[in-house]
Amino acid sequence: MALTIAAVVIITQLPTRLGLDLRGGSQLTIQVLPTEAHPTITERDLETVKSVVEGRVNGLGVSEAVVQVVGNNQLLVQLPGVSDPQQAERVLGGTAQLEFRAQRAGTEQQLQIENQILQGHLGELAALQAALPQGLAIEPETQTRIDRLQADIAGSEAAIADLFEPSTLGGDQLTDAIAGTDSAGRWVVSIRFNNEGGNEFAEITRAIAGTGRGIGIFLDNRLLSAPQVNVQYAETGITGGGAEISGSFNAQSANELAIQLRGGALPLPVEVVENRTVGPTLGRDSIQRSLYAGLAGLVLVLVFMAVYYRLPGLLANIALIVYALLTWAAFNLLGVTLTLPGIAGFILSIGMAVDANVLIFERTREELRSDKTLYRSVESGFFRAFSSILDGNVTTLISCLALFYFGAGLVRGFALTLGIGVLISMFTALTCTRTLMFLAISLPQFRRPSLFCPGLDPARPNPVRP
Amino acid sequence: MKLNIIQQRGLWWAISGALVLASLVAMAISWQQFGAPLRPGLDFAGGTRLQLTRACAVTDTCTDGIDLGQVRQVLGQQGLDSSSLQVLGDEQQVLSVRSRNLDVDERTALQAALDEAIGPFDNSSTQIDTVGPVIGQQLLVSGLLALLVSFAGIVAYLSLRFKLDYAILAILALAHDVIITCGVFALLGLLLGIEVDSLFIVSLLTIVGFSVNDTVVIYDRVRENLKLNPGSHINDVVDSAVNQTLTRSINTSLTTILPLLAIFIFGGQTLKYFALALILGFVAGSYSSIFVASSLLALWRERTGQAYSGEPDDAAPQPETQA
Repeated sequence: MALTIAAVVIITQLPTRLGLDLRGGSQLTIQVLPTEAHPTITERDLETVKSVVEGRVNGLGVSEAVVQVVGNNQLLVQLPGVSDPQQAERVLGGTAQLEFRAQRAGTEQQLQIENQILQGHLGELAALQAALPQGLAIEPETQTRIDRLQADIAGSEAAIADLFEPSTLGGDQLTDAIAGTDSAGRWVVSIRFNNEGGNEFAEITRAIAGTGRGIGIFLDNRLLSAPQVNVQYAETGITGGGAEISGSFNAQSANELAIQLRGGALPLPVEVVENRTVGPTLGRDSIQRSLYAGLAGLVLVLVFMAVYYRLPGLLANIALIVYALLTWAAFNLLGVTLTLPGIAGFILSIGMAVDANVLIFERTREELRSDKTLYRSVESGFFRAFSSILDGNVTTLISCLALFYFGAGLVRGFALTLGIGVLISMFTALTCTRTLMFLAISLPQFRRPSLFCPGLDPARPNPVRP
Repeated sequence: MKLNIIQQRGLWWAISGALVLASLVAMAISWQQFGAPLRPGLDFAGGTRLQLTRACAVTDTCTDGIDLGQVRQVLGQQGLDSSSLQVLGDEQQVLSVRSRNLDVDERTALQAALDEAIGPFDNSSTQIDTVGPVIGQQLLVSGLLALLVSFAGIVAYLSLRFKLDYAILAILALAHDVIITCGVFALLGLLLGIEVDSLFIVSLLTIVGFSVNDTVVIYDRVRENLKLNPGSHINDVVDSAVNQTLTRSINTSLTTILPLLAIFIFGGQTLKYFALALILGFVAGSYSSIFVASSLLALWRERTGQAYSGEPDDAAPQPETQA
């Protein structure tokens, strides 16, 4: 009882997370490809590529986007409610482009202003996205505002990029970037170039040393940082192929920049190998149709149970409804993302729950027919059916485990919902139905075997009331 | 109703045997045509599928269904003649194009061309699926692996809870159900062009779970009856076990198949054939549990000389037992 109330509270309080196939959106699998120069992909490589991809996803401005590492050379990107899958695929699919550019003369003030404008846009977008309802489709007006902000951000970024001279010093010449502390204990990012890169870097730094202009570090044409070069390097530039970027870093921001730089230095091409995009209304249509169909099927089952099994059938129906509520609550509580196959798994688990009840009632009827008392019959009905229920459910759970462990994507969602459903169905059949049954036979008006087994010989030891 | 399973077992086996044989033939023909036992869908073969819905609310261009000839013309201009086309939906306003793997630019170009020729299409109900060959392989391998592992897991569990012979026969019954389901889909692939995707593997796994469940309930009863009447012949024990569980088998099949039928008839496009596969598998599963698994168990026990004993270590007489 308390559980049921708790379940209802959970359902109303916690949102159900809908998968991209139901709410619309894009799911992309990105494969990191090895190259001749870099034949094996390590965990560290994947991590850096992930940070590059995350940067690009942020650039797309999609809320609740998820980037995950899958296997040992793939990334899974989920973009709920993305409005332009073409653009997303294009943006995410390229090799990272890192570039070091000298700032043009006379643009110091302009850079400051553009940067402020950009930060304003970014702040506004972040605030807007934070206020979005989780797991629901985005309203059209909000979407338009988001789209406009994204366009503004892209505009600002382009304007900033314009303030720097193009150069040929890029990621391919950067050999490493490490976050660390200098002798005074401040966080810095040390970078190292190869020979050719070192010379070019010296040239660029010589041009801007002491001028108050910065050297722009761009990743995918977006400014990461624009450190200035001290006047002492005005003669020769920073030589030796290495440099330290200092500034107001803390451990986190220094690490972040180092990872981004390494990502840009990584010459690993990426390719979008899978794209599944579902338009928002299409998703809504399929959820509605399947939901209605499932509900209609469920109602038929409830009717069948009540007609065929009479009183126990009705009690089982109550237990089934409790079961459905508990399972739904468990999904919300565990943060299960509900997909279309997931809903199918849920509906099938209802079938399993019904089966447990059918097994129990058939046993009870058998015992009644062999002249046992009502109480004994119900008792042994549960007892005898238990091993069948256990074996059947365990074998289903074994399949679910195999599916969950080896399956991918949609298959896993199905395995998860079916598995949770089977576990809860065992619980409700053995506790909830049981409690209700014993409650019923403790009340005299229900203590009639004919309510449990129609067509039974009326000359029973139990009293039959007129 | 009382069934004489053992008496008519020749008939039951003939029916099952014929169905399995027909399924294998269908898969063999399909192998010759597509190089796979079932017509492989996008998930396994790779490629791009575009599903576009006409924006009927906005314009009044959709008085008629989508004209495939026109679509073919557009595809021809894009160099995609070999693509397969389908018009879906109640009012024939949904176009599904399946082609080789298209990259973003090719796809955009195709969408724009189609939009111009037969559109406009409603962007919010567009579906795009692109699956690279690597992913297709992965899905297939992981799916088959899951299938094999769950077979092994079920054998292990059943031999632990029952005996190895129960487990082997349960798996045999399972293979029967899986083969027949695949056979029907091979046939559907040959006749109606229906393809199997990763959801089909999910359905096979579910069939495995349910079919075993069915078989286990009957075996459970056989085991119990053997304990209660150690002296009776295995044939009688199996017969009565099947009959005692028959109402349950029918009711359970009915209650699980009802929601599936609802999904098959009224549900969304995606789940339609998933539901059909499950219905086929469950029906085959009920049949094999009742008629095949049980009678095979009786035969096995008879042949290995355990006709009069459930438990070999029982005190019951065991004429020629070796094990």
